[in-house]
Amino acid sequence: MSLLAPLALLGLLGLSLPLIAHLLGRERPQTIRFAGVRFVRPREPVVTQRRELRDWPLLLLRLLMLAAFVLVLARPVINSEAAVAVLAEPHDTVILLDASGSMDLRVDGKAEHERANERLDSLLDAIPPGSRVGLVIADPRAPEVELTPIAEGGPRIRAAVDAWERGEKLPPRAGAWTMAEALPRAATLLSEAQELPRAIYAISDPTERGLGSLPELADGAITVIPVSTRGAPGQPPPTPPEHVGIRELSWEPALELDPKAVRITALIHRYGGDQDEDLEVGAALEIDGEEVARTRVKLRPDGDAAAEFSHTLASTGAGVRARVSLLDRDDDPLPIDDRRHLWIAAHETIEVLVINGDPSVTRANDEIFFLSTALRHSELADSLSVRGLALDQLEDRLRGTQNPLAKVDVLVLANVRALPPELAPLIVERVAAGMGLWISVGDRVSATDYNARFAPLLPLLLREAVYAGTAPGRTEARSEGVAPAQLSHPIFAGTLRGSSEAGELDLGATRTRRMFLLEPDPRRGADIAVAFTSGAPALITRAHGQGRVALLTTTIDRDWGDLPLRPGFVPLATRTIAWLAGAQNPSSRDAVGIGVAKQLGRSATYSVTTPAGASVPVTPKREGEPAVFEATDLPGHYSASANASGDEQASAAGLERFVVEFDPREADTTPVAIRGVALDGETGTVTIYEPRWRELALVVLLLLGIESGARLWLRRRRTG
Amino acid sequence: MTELDPIERLLPATLRAALARRELIVRRPVAGARHGVHRSPRPGVGRDFRDFRAYAPGDDPRRLDWRAAARSQRLVVRQTESEDELDLALVIDGSGGMSYGEGVEQKWRRAGTVAAALTSLALRQGDRVGFAIARAGGLALEALEPVARRDRLRLLGLGLADEPSGDCDWSALLDALGPSLRRRTLVVAISDFLDPGGSSAGEEGAAREHDEALIRGLTSLRSAGHDVALIQILHRDELEFPWDRPRVIELEDPRGRRASVEGPGGSLRADYLDKLNAHLRWLEQSCERGGLLLARLLSDREPAPQLLDLLARLAGQPGDAVMREGGP
Repeated sequence: MSLLAPLALLGLLGLSLPLIAHLLGRERPQTIRFAGVRFVRPREPVVTQRRELRDWPLLLLRLLMLAAFVLVLARPVINSEAAVAVLAEPHDTVILLDASGSMDLRVDGKAEHERANERLDSLLDAIPPGSRVGLVIADPRAPEVELTPIAEGGPRIRAAVDAWERGEKLPPRAGAWTMAEALPRAATLLSEAQELPRAIYAISDPTERGLGSLPELADGAITVIPVSTRGAPGQPPPTPPEHVGIRELSWEPALELDPKAVRITALIHRYGGDQDEDLEVGAALEIDGEEVARTRVKLRPDGDAAAEFSHTLASTGAGVRARVSLLDRDDDPLPIDDRRHLWIAAHETIEVLVINGDPSVTRANDEIFFLSTALRHSELADSLSVRGLALDQLEDRLRGTQNPLAKVDVLVLANVRALPPELAPLIVERVAAGMGLWISVGDRVSATDYNARFAPLLPLLLREAVYAGTAPGRTEARSEGVAPAQLSHPIFAGTLRGSSEAGELDLGATRTRRMFLLEPDPRRGADIAVAFTSGAPALITRAHGQGRVALLTTTIDRDWGDLPLRPGFVPLATRTIAWLAGAQNPSSRDAVGIGVAKQLGRSATYSVTTPAGASVPVTPKREGEPAVFEATDLPGHYSASANASGDEQASAAGLERFVVEFDPREADTTPVAIRGVALDGETGTVTIYEPRWRELALVVLLLLGIESGARLWLRRRRTG
Repeated sequence: MTELDPIERLLPATLRAALARRELIVRRPVAGARHGVHRSPRPGVGRDFRDFRAYAPGDDPRRLDWRAAARSQRLVVRQTESEDELDLALVIDGSGGMSYGEGVEQKWRRAGTVAAALTSLALRQGDRVGFAIARAGGLALEALEPVARRDRLRLLGLGLADEPSGDCDWSALLDALGPSLRRRTLVVAISDFLDPGGSSAGEEGAAREHDEALIRGLTSLRSAGHDVALIQILHRDELEFPWDRPRVIELEDPRGRRASVEGPGGSLRADYLDKLNAHLRWLEQSCERGGLLLARLLSDREPAPQLLDLLARLAGQPGDAVMREGGP
C-alpha cells in the first residue's frame, strides 16, 4: 500500500496533543487550607490523587480514531496491477468513457463504472501540463467536454461525469452507444487539433463490446489507448464473476391448450461458473404485475436453459404486460438482465386466407375443400376465420389495397401458380412481418417460378415433381407412405409419443403417388415435421423474419395422394395452421434496446406512457415523418397512443406497444485480452491506484460510534 | 517598618478603650485565695451585704450592726460577700485550623484578641491568669500556672505571635490543665472546635468520639467546680462555604491529619453545610447538657462588641443559651 499524500501523516504528531492537554492542561484546582475538610465529601468520584490518567480506554479509542482520520487524509491506495501508457509530453486527448450496461457488473463488491471513475481520476492526474483534454461518454445524451487545457479541463470533466451519474439533467442509461459507436465522436473532438500529439484514452471493461471492439487507431491517425477497468494491457484478462441473465424472452399462442393460451419461453444463460457444478435458478412469470407461475432450471457453466411457462389469458384483444424475472438472485453481479418484458395479445380469431389455385365446382375436386372441411371441424374451429379467394382475387387485392394482408394471420397458397414478380415481394414482406404462410404444391406450381419469387421464404428450394418409385433409390413402389410425424417439431409441441394425440396424428396409411423433391441445403435452417417413408420431406418448415413458412410437398387435395382422407389430416392441418399463426405478433414483441430511439408507426402526435407511469408527448420532427420516441431510459413496457381524440376506434388503432430491454449482448462479460499500446514520442506509465481511504473513512465512522457508546456507558456507570 | 508590639497587635487602642471600664465578672461564685472582685462562696470582707447573724465572741466588733441590734434587742453581726480573686486559665488551640483568614479576620488573630482581652481584664482586677497553647502537636505550658503577674500579658502576646500550625492535642492539654487548677477557675477554651481530633482516614464516627472526649474533659472540669467557657471562633467562609462555582477546588487539612479533597465547589457546598450545621448543633446541645458556656464569634466582626457581649454573658446576664453572631 502507498500513500498519495504522505505529508498528511504529520497530522499523527497531533495525536500527542490530547495526551499533553490531558496531563498539563487540566484545570488546576484552587488549593484552600480549610479547617472544615472533615465535613467535605465529594459527590462525584473526583480523583483525589494527583495528575492521574483516567479513562485510558476511551483516550486510546479517541487516539485510534484520530490516527485513522489522519490516514484517510493521507489517501492510502493499493497499487493495481494496471499500468497505463500515458504520453508524458503535452498532448491533446479525449477520454472516452464507457456507459454500456456491462459497466454495471460488480466485481469484488465494486461496480465497473466505479472503477472507471477511479481510472479517470488517475488519468487526469497523470496527463502532463500543457495538454488539452476533452470528454466523450458513450451515451448520446451525456454531456461532452471539448478540448480544454488540463488545469481547467480536469475539474470540468469530473464535474460533467458527476452530473451525468447523478442524472442531473438526464438519467444515465446502459448501452446507448457501444465504444465502437462512440469512438468517431471522440475522434471528431480531436479532428481540428493538429499541433500536439493526439490520443484517445478509452476507459471500459475488457469485453468484446468494450475495449475489445476498439481499433488501434481512430480516424486512421489517432492512437486509441485502452484503459481497462480490470487487468493490465498485454496480460491475460482476469476472470469476471459468474452471473446469470435472461437472454431472450418470447411468446406464442398455445392454441393446442386453449384459444387464449400462450406459451412464454425465457432463454436463461449462465456466464462463467465452476465447471463441475450445475446451478439451479428459479424464474417467475408475472402477468399484469401479478405472479402467476414459477419454474426452475439447471444451468451448466456458460450454458443456456429454457424456462417455459404456459398461461391462459383472462381476456383477448388488449395487450397484457408479461414479465419474467429470475428469483433469489440478489447477489447477482449484473442484475439488469435478470428480468425481461413482453406485451402479449391473444388472438380473438385467427384469420386464415386460403388461395384456391385449382377451384372446382365439384367439391371433392376443389383444391381447398378438404382443408376447409378439416379446419371447420377442428378444435380450433371457433378460433378460425377461414376465407377463400381465387388467385386473381388475391392479385387484385394485392394491387389495389394498402396493407392488403395486414389482418391475415395465415395465408395458404394451395396449388397456386407463382405470383407475378411485382406482387411476390408483398408476400415475402408480410411473412417477414409475422404472417404465416402455408404452401401446398400441385400441378400449377412451377419450381422455377417459386424458387425465383419466393426463394427467401421457401424452407428448401423446389427441384422437381416426381412420381413415387422414381425417386432415387426407389424403383418398385408406385406410392409413398408417410413416416410417423416428428413429434419434436414445434408443430407437435405438447404431443407425447404413445399418447392419444400422437395416435391421432398417425398418417401411416397415407399413400402418395407424387411429390415435389427439394434441394438439400442445411444453411436454410429448415425443419422437417413429416417425412415420407423414403425420407423425403413431406411437410417442412422454416422461419422467415417474424413469420413462419410451411411447405407441403404433395397436394392438399386428392390429386397426388390420399393424405386429406386420413384421419390424421385434420389434426395435422389444425396444428400446422396453429403453428403458423403463432408467429410473433410484431406489435406485441416490438422491442428496442435501452437508449435506442423507437420509431413509431405514424406521422402523428403520440403520448407515450413509460414504465414509471409518466406520459411523454412525442411529435414528429418534420411533417410526414413518423414520430420518434427517444426517452427509452428504463427497461419495461411502453405504450404509445396517437391522437388522443374522442374516437375510440381511432385511438385503439393508434395504440402501439413496445418494450425497452437491456441488450443481451451487453451481458456477455467474457473477458478479452487487451493489447498493449506502442506510443510514439515520450511516454510514461501511470499506475492505477485502488483507493482505500473510503474503507478507512468507514472505520473512522465505526470508531466514532463506539466512542460515543463507550462515553455514555462510562458516564452512566459513574452516576450509578 | 517597625514591628507592631504583640500586645498592641492583639489589643489595639480602640479595643482597650472599649474595655477600659469593664470588669471580668463570672456569674457563679468563685473561691480565691486573695481578695478579689468576684463573689466568693464564703462570707468575708467585702462590699456587698449578705446576711445578719448573732454575735459570737471573737467577732470583729466593727462588724456589729447596731441598727439591727436595736430592732432585735440582740447583738447582730453584719455579714458581707467576700470578694475573692479569680483564677483564669486559657487553653488556646494553636493548630493549623486556626490559621484561616487574612489580617484582622484571621481566626488566630481573633483568638489572640479574646485571650489578651480576658487576660488584661483579669490582671487589672488582680486575678491570676495562666494559659497554655497547643500547637504543632506540642504544648506550651510554661505559663499554665495562674499567677497575677502583669508580665502574663506580654508572655501571652509572645506566645501568640507564632503562627498556628499542625495539630492540637486536646487530650494532653486537658490532662496538663487539670492538676494546675487548685481552686475554682474560669477555664476558657479558645478554638474553632471543628475538628478537635480525628483519624486521618476521616471516619466520622472516630471524629465524633474525639469531639465527645473533649466535651467530656471540659465537663469534668465543670463537675470539679470550675467554670468552663468555650469560645468558638469561626471564619465566615467556614460558615457559608462561598465556593459554589463548578471550578474544581482542592481543600487541604491545615492540621495535616486528613487527605485533601478535590471537587467542584458547587457540588461540595450543600453537603458541607449540612454536616457543619449538624456538628454545630451537636456542640450546642453538648455544651448545654454539660453546663458549659459556648460563645461563637465570627472573625470578621468587630471584636469590641463581641468581647462586651462575652463579658456580659460571663457575668450571667440573660441571653441566648448560646451566644452566637451571625451563625447558622
